[in-house]
Amino acid sequence: MYLVADINVEICAAKSCKLCTQYCPEANTILYSDEMGKDQGFKYGSAYVAVDRCKGCAQCVWVCDNMAKNNAIKMIMIDQLPKAALTDNITYGEKSTTAVLASPVVG
Amino acid sequence: MSLDYVKFSNGFEKFMPKEYRDMVEHGPFGKKVSVSQVGSFKEVLEEHPMCAGCAMTLFIRLAMVAFPNPEDTITVGTAGCGRLAISQAAIPFVYGNYGDQNGVASGLSRGLRLRFGDKPKDVVVMAGDGGTADIGFQQVLHSWFRKERFTTIMLDNEVYGNTGGQESGMTNRGAVLKMAPLGKKFEKMDMVQMAKVAGCAYVATVVPNNPRRVESVIKKAVLIAREVGSTYIQAYTSCNIEYAIPTDKVMEDAKAVENDRYQFTEYVSEEAKQYLTERYGYKEFLAKPAAAIPNKA
Repeated sequence: MYLVADINVEICAAKSCKLCTQYCPEANTILYSDEMGKDQGFKYGSAYVAVDRCKGCAQCVWVCDNMAKNNAIKMIMIDQLPKAALTDNITYGEKSTTAVLASPVVG
Repeated sequence: MSLDYVKFSNGFEKFMPKEYRDMVEHGPFGKKVSVSQVGSFKEVLEEHPMCAGCAMTLFIRLAMVAFPNPEDTITVGTAGCGRLAISQAAIPFVYGNYGDQNGVASGLSRGLRLRFGDKPKDVVVMAGDGGTADIGFQQVLHSWFRKERFTTIMLDNEVYGNTGGQESGMTNRGAVLKMAPLGKKFEKMDMVQMAKVAGCAYVATVVPNNPRRVESVIKKAVLIAREVGSTYIQAYTSCNIEYAIPTDKVMEDAKAVENDRYQFTEYVSEEAKQYLTERYGYKEFLAKPAAAIPNKA
C-alpha cells in the first residue's frame, strides 16, 4: 500500500484558499469542486485529490499546514480511504469540477 | 499550430480517451486561464515519470498554465529531467540533440515567422542547467547575441540530476555531490549577467514557491520574445533526490534558497517596457506620478 493526500472537506470548505491546487507538482491532481462543499452546507467549495495521480510527495500537506495554516490535508494509506476521487469519475465544468467518489481499491 | 489541431476529427470523439476529450472540451486552448484557476480546468500537462515532489515539475506545470497562447506555442528541450514532463503535454515539443536546443529554436522561430507572418507563434526553450550553461552554452550565447526572438528558460537544479549527480556550471562552489565527492572548485556561473551582456530584452530569476510570480514572469518573457528580442528566465528548481531534500520540505527549501541566493530579480529593457505597455496594456512600467512637494510654508 502507499500514501496519498486526503483533504478534509469541512476544514477546506470553510477557507477555500486553493493554495494546494497551485502548489501540487502534478497536473490535474488536486482539483476544486464547488459542489463538494456548498452541497454539504459549507460556505465554499472544496479541493480534492484524484488519488490515481497522486504520487504521495506531501508538498500539499506542508503548504496547507505552513502557508495556509489550515491543517486540512493528511497523508493516508490508500486502502484506508473508504471513498476517493479517481480521474475516470471526474467531470469538468465551466468553472469547477465534480467528482463521483468511489472506493479507490479494486477488488 | 492552431486551435484546429486539438479538435476531434469527425466521428472519432467516442474513440478518444477521457483525458483527451477533457482537454479538448475543458482545456485552456483559446481561453485566458490563470494560475488562480488551476484545479477548475483541464491542464495540458499529462502524467509523466518525473520524481514525486519535484520542484522542476511544479515549475513546468506553472509555466504551461502561464503560456499566453498554448495552442500557438512550441516547446524545445534537450536531454535532462525536464523533458520527461515537457514532452507529455498537449503542446508540440521538439527534442534537440544535447546542447543544440537554442540553435533548433532559432531556426524554428525564424521558420514560423516566414510561414505565419505576423501571427504570433511562440517558441519556448526549457532545458536544464547542464543543457543551458554547460553543453549548450555556445548556442545559447550566440542565440542571445543574434537577438533571436524566443524565450530561454533554465530549469536550474544545480546538478546533473538525470545521470547520477555530477556537478554542473551552475552548481554552487563547495557543493559535494555523489559524482563530485571532493566538492565543486569553482563559482556558480553568472548566467543572468551574461544574458544582460548578450543583449536579452528580459531577464528574470524566479523560484516556484510563488506561483503567481512564475506566471507573471513567463507571460512577460513570452510576449516580449514575440517582437523585441531574446528573453531569459532562470528558475531554481531543486533536485530533491541529489540534494536529499524530503519531498514535503521542497517548498521550505525553495523559500530558504530564495532568501539566501535566489532572490527574485527582473530586468526589462526600455524597448521591452514600452512594448508591453503599448501592445499589451501593462501598467507597471508607466512613469510614476511625481511625489507631491511638501509645502514649505
